Amino acid sequence: MSFALANTIGAVFAAPVRWLAASIDAPLRLWQRLTGKGGMIAFFLMPNIIVFGTFVIIPLFINFAYSVTGGNELFLTDRSFVGTQHFDRLLTCDNHFDPSSCRDDLFWTAVWNTARFVVVQVTTIAIVAMGTALILNSKIPARGFWRAVFFFPVLLSPVVVGLIWRWILQRQGLLNFVMIEMDLTPVNWLIERDWAFVAAVGVSVWAHVGFYALILLAGLQAIPRDLYEAAEMDGTRPARVFFRITLPLLWPNLLVVIVLALIRAVQIFDEVYVLTGGGPGTSTLYLTQYIYEIGFASILRNPGLASAASLMMGGVLIVLTLGQLGLQRWRDRA
Amino acid sequence: MGQIRLEGLYKRFGVHEVLTDINLEVDEGELCVFVGPSGCGKSTLLRQISGLDQPSEGKVFIDGKDVTRVSAADRGLAMVFQSYALYPHMTVRQNLAFGLQNMKMPRAEIDRRIADVSRMLEIEPLIARRPGQLSGGQRQRVAIGRAIVRDPTAFLLDEPLSNLDAELRVSMRAELAALHARLGATMIYVTHDQIEAMTLADRIVVLRLGRIEQVAAPLDLFDRPVNRFVAGFIGAPSMNFLSVADAAPLLGGGTPDGVAIVGVRPQHLVRAEKGLELCATLVEALGTETVIHGTLASGARLLATVAGHLKVAPGDRLTLGANPEQLHFFNANDQRVDAIA
Repeated sequence: MSFALANTIGAVFAAPVRWLAASIDAPLRLWQRLTGKGGMIAFFLMPNIIVFGTFVIIPLFINFAYSVTGGNELFLTDRSFVGTQHFDRLLTCDNHFDPSSCRDDLFWTAVWNTARFVVVQVTTIAIVAMGTALILNSKIPARGFWRAVFFFPVLLSPVVVGLIWRWILQRQGLLNFVMIEMDLTPVNWLIERDWAFVAAVGVSVWAHVGFYALILLAGLQAIPRDLYEAAEMDGTRPARVFFRITLPLLWPNLLVVIVLALIRAVQIFDEVYVLTGGGPGTSTLYLTQYIYEIGFASILRNPGLASAASLMMGGVLIVLTLGQLGLQRWRDRA
Repeated sequence: MGQIRLEGLYKRFGVHEVLTDINLEVDEGELCVFVGPSGCGKSTLLRQISGLDQPSEGKVFIDGKDVTRVSAADRGLAMVFQSYALYPHMTVRQNLAFGLQNMKMPRAEIDRRIADVSRMLEIEPLIARRPGQLSGGQRQRVAIGRAIVRDPTAFLLDEPLSNLDAELRVSMRAELAALHARLGATMIYVTHDQIEAMTLADRIVVLRLGRIEQVAAPLDLFDRPVNRFVAGFIGAPSMNFLSVADAAPLLGGGTPDGVAIVGVRPQHLVRAEKGLELCATLVEALGTETVIHGTLASGARLLATVAGHLKVAPGDRLTLGANPEQLHFFNANDQRVDAIA
């Protein structure tokens, strides 16, 4: 392509840009003169503020409005104000540790199921991600390949993850087929309460651990090799190297992993919903599924109650996040 | 205690040989400096001695004992790293104590050793701080303290001053020399800075492309380099290398047989009645000396360092002579040829 032709094409493409720049130049200058530097900052931030406001802030207020109004109606104007009635219903219990003593026993079943899931899943993810990162950081053959293998499940849709594992774990699934072939007694993985819980935790760990392992791997690679060599010269045993050098230096990354895993675990829904549907019974019913069922899926839907539950869940997430960040600040200062 | 011997040491990474037939003996209490350009293998050699790396061939002896396959921790050596390698999440005290705790040393003994070293290196006020709260020089002291506190057979120092600014480097160099004199311990010191090598070393090992070029005391190295590489590497500014024809005005008594190159250090050139006719191209007045860059009639470049102030401007012509005893002769293979007696 000749230089002249390239110039002509460039000029053609530049023309509308130049026209646009010229047409907004005068109004922008006027805006700056009227509002100063702060006004210009607001102008450039406005697109993001509008998107964030439309899809996050405004729905948050609408959600709050739903939580203090009653009825099945979806339009707020058709709903009557009920005050804290939904919150009272959710929080009224003789004994909060016994869901059957609560006014909304399903909510508290979901709360305790979620709490148990969060503790076990986050702990498992932290340990498995750490182990995976340590292995992937060591000198193993085909290291790049293994890193990719562990990350692949993260790329799958949660629904696909749920479907794949349901196919493997169902009564006549792949796993039981293999067990029968090996003369082992098949197990009702998704039908027995304890196994269903293990399956829910296991599948969600499998689906997400690659992402967290990657965060920890980045942290491990940022630890200078000299420190390990200094420890080697000092005759430090491997376990002591891990607990006294690797773990403290990896703490910021580990904290990120724990916070992110915690937030995701509290919000767990899709893969478990596809895998177990919350069952058997309500043994794998978690908070998000409860909110979905009450707000949208059940015949007697109650958007106000679902909104109240989601606000409470949001509150818990904020407290957890602030708690973790506070812990990090305290540790950085110490 | 602290004699180190290397026998026929080779190190290969795949087909790439980074150390070739290294034979060396470092005496007890000696401060031996490995020097050479980047990539010459000096740090790799230090790692073979430390046990952090295993040689592909050859043996490492410490106090007569073959330690080639002995782990780094069991060789009784301490290392000071270029980056200091202080544990950033531990205080200075914890850094100093870490290695001793690994040895299961009683707490009272650990405290005593830390107190002694802190006093010796004047880091007592820093003991509760973390490395991030220390200056470069203070970190350097702590890194040295961590080595001393273990009471090792020998110290290995891998470019320990290279991260410090020029001024601090000079003062730390003096402190290291004093420390060596005080401890009397064997030290192997890696640097690419020949001034550090010259000022600190009892003996210097000059390396190039994984081979030892010369092992000698600093002044011997300066006065009698075995080849053109060592002659050019030791001394700043570098030695001038001239063809015999260009150097003819300096060679009153002729040259030994087989000489192809004549070397003369810039500091050994003085203004004279007869000698090399130099046309100055650049003059650097440094106060204590004047560095003159110039060319000879043949076009060969030459550098002269003359003490004090010299009123020379680019384009001026000077005549420079040199004491024949301070000339160096090299054959076509760049090896030293001794002057005629």
